[in-house]
Amino acid sequence: MKKKKMIISQETMDIDFVRKVEALSDTSVRRCFQCGKCSAGCPMATFMEHPPNRVVRLLQLGQWRRIIEGRSIWYCASCETCSTRCPNKVHLASIMDALRKLSWDADGPSKESYVQLANKLFLQNIRTYGRQYEMRLAAVFNVKSGQFLKDLMLGPKLIAKGKLKMFHSKNKNMTEIEKIFSRIEEMRKKGEAL
Amino acid sequence: MSRIGVFICHCGENISRTVDVERVAAQIGKLPGVAFSTDYKYMCSDPGQNLLKKAIQEQKLSHVVVAACSPRMHEKTFRKAVEAAGLNPFLCEMANIREHCSWVHENKEEATVKAIEIVGMMVERVKKNRVLPSITVPITKRSLVIGGGIAGIQAALDIADCGHEVILVEREPSIGGHMAQLSETFPTLDCSQCIMTPKMVDVANHPKIKLYTYSEIELVEGYIGNFQVTIKKRARSVDEDKCTGCGVCMTKCPQKKIPNKFDMNIGMRTAIYVPFPQAVPNTPVIDRDNCTKFKTGKCGVCQKVCGPGAVDFEQEDQLIVEAVGAIVVATGFDLYSIAEKPKGSPIKGYGEFGHGKIPDVIDGMTFERLASASGPTGGKILRPSDGKEPKQIVFIQCIGSRAREKGISYCSKVCCMYTAKHTMLYHHKVHDGQAYVFFMDARTPGKSYDEFWRRSIEEEEAVYIRGMVSRLYQKGDKIVVMGSDIAVGVQVEIEADMVVLATAIQPQKGADSLAQKLGISYDKYHFYSEAHAKLRPVECATAGIYLAGACQGPKDIPETVSQASAAAAKVMTLFSKDQLEREPIVARVREAGCVGCFACKKVCAYGAVEEKEIRDRQGNLIKVVAYVNPGVCGGCGTCQATCPSKSVELDGYTDEQIVAMIEAL
Repeated sequence: MKKKKMIISQETMDIDFVRKVEALSDTSVRRCFQCGKCSAGCPMATFMEHPPNRVVRLLQLGQWRRIIEGRSIWYCASCETCSTRCPNKVHLASIMDALRKLSWDADGPSKESYVQLANKLFLQNIRTYGRQYEMRLAAVFNVKSGQFLKDLMLGPKLIAKGKLKMFHSKNKNMTEIEKIFSRIEEMRKKGEAL
Repeated sequence: MSRIGVFICHCGENISRTVDVERVAAQIGKLPGVAFSTDYKYMCSDPGQNLLKKAIQEQKLSHVVVAACSPRMHEKTFRKAVEAAGLNPFLCEMANIREHCSWVHENKEEATVKAIEIVGMMVERVKKNRVLPSITVPITKRSLVIGGGIAGIQAALDIADCGHEVILVEREPSIGGHMAQLSETFPTLDCSQCIMTPKMVDVANHPKIKLYTYSEIELVEGYIGNFQVTIKKRARSVDEDKCTGCGVCMTKCPQKKIPNKFDMNIGMRTAIYVPFPQAVPNTPVIDRDNCTKFKTGKCGVCQKVCGPGAVDFEQEDQLIVEAVGAIVVATGFDLYSIAEKPKGSPIKGYGEFGHGKIPDVIDGMTFERLASASGPTGGKILRPSDGKEPKQIVFIQCIGSRAREKGISYCSKVCCMYTAKHTMLYHHKVHDGQAYVFFMDARTPGKSYDEFWRRSIEEEEAVYIRGMVSRLYQKGDKIVVMGSDIAVGVQVEIEADMVVLATAIQPQKGADSLAQKLGISYDKYHFYSEAHAKLRPVECATAGIYLAGACQGPKDIPETVSQASAAAAKVMTLFSKDQLEREPIVARVREAGCVGCFACKKVCAYGAVEEKEIRDRQGNLIKVVAYVNPGVCGGCGTCQATCPSKSVELDGYTDEQIVAMIEAL
């Protein structure tokens, strides 16, 4: 991966976003002095392009886009080893959580991991059927992500075991389900929920 | 015939485990001249010492050898015991059969034989020991303090408060030093002037302190307790007794555009000036290099307007001789200059930072003057180039310091803290600005120091970027800072309005020539050397000279003040007696043999060798010989080893004694 030079100024440091992360995670990123203990103990650090300490460092510099563009926040297993061991009480697991939540609305989310796409399709399914319709989820995900043959051979096996149904069954109380979704949408508009 | 008493110690089992002490005692008892020989479990214990004293009296012993541990451990103990029993303490010697024998050997037979030889050697040596009378030196109970910064002021006040006269010499027209230039001080952010100026006034008003400003040390002669110091009092061109400090002369002086060194040359002053309004003494000085009267012979406005008639163009430099007993050196520091260095200097400049030619790249002390309420901008942070307020300010640490290739390898110690302070002062004064700091390590050991640094980041919103800046360059009215954030691993670029460099602390210019006048040693950077880095940190190797403050190495204010008080305490220890008693292990010249080559004078590290004229009864000069001043001699023996005619001997370590030891083997 090519590393872009950081041009630092008051304009390029998005401190407002960092404030949101801090409010959501109820922790301060400024407390971190980059000892590296979080990354030292992280079981997933080897898979991340930005290990946990660097996630905090990038937040300190207001460079959250560099985090969101990568896959680090999605590899985090929320084991909370980092938060438990941090000498400065920086709750890194909560920061990861907050970043995942905030990445929903942030433009330019992770293209590499398709996590956002999967999440969106998952919720769409629930809204339409009141429960999960795996066949449709898999099919639409494959088409939208452009990986048409992904996991195709798993299908027959799952069908044989009765884990994957060919046809959907709908929840009986769809009005209630819709109520939940529209209420959340309303709250999001008002800024009461993410 | 001597009657020597030999006492062999078991040291619990430390010695007796590997040395057959009873056999040693029996063998030694047979030597000629030994009248009494015994062994005891703990010679240094009370019963052990009583055994020694009793034996001296009952056996009428003339000399004593104690075979035990190293003389470093207990020589003083046994010499005291011997003195209490009525013998001269220098007739007692120790044979080291612990560190030199029992601890380093395993074979008991061989160790015992070696112990017998060691004790035997000391028996032969002690036969040649002479009675050495103790040496006393008179003490002049006045002290000289060189340097009127916070170190010198603290030392002078402490000594003077104990009732002893102090002569305080300062090179600049006012005392106060660098601390008077600072805006606020870490870690409490109290105003430097507010805590400094009362002390300056105390110095001026103290009846026991004699203040010489605008003066330098010309010559230092003498030794501990008896120094003669010649002070050169430079012509002020203003009579200190007549001047009332009204300041009319300064307002009328036509030369108004002279850069003021006190304001790091960003503020201007007149040719007749006081460096800053709170100066002590508040008597102006005429800067003769810039004064129209001295340059062209015309003007003299200050003299005309001076009511009391204090301006005196005819005044000349004066030489004043003062007698003192102790000297405290507190000459302080100077800052590393990032400007291009003259050829031949071992310290390289920073071409990559513009060699001081980018106007808005300033050093830390200049920032202090900008931030100071009494500074040239009245406490506003403004760019020197166009007077605008910088909105993006970059601080770079370790400029000069920790850069072996640039000529300095040490850490300047205070920069991490003052940079943190600068970011806070900036944040307090420019609310919509942003401070960035490029640093390699944050070194904040000290009470409440790390908390202070963290506060600058967590509360005062300074952005710290770990990584050294590679280069600075001017781009329009911005300065582009090229660095890298090594925690993220990417290059960083900032377009700054102003850059502040935390330049290294160096000793004051001329520190080396002052050291040569005083006869004290200094390191390769010209910081003064202490006698022992841990156990004698405020004393010089030269007796009677003490160190305080940053002239010894980079120090912050609390450390400087502590050391200044420590130096004062050392001076008080010296002054607590009327006469100075010294161990009589000093060199003595046999004048009949001395040919006056003074090879000894050249090698003497203490400056103890003097020239002495020998005259006959008619007063005709016969010859000039060396004389060792017992008050100054450190007893190292270098002169003895150097003397080509074997005419110098160190008492207690004469050739006769050493040869006797060798022959006993």
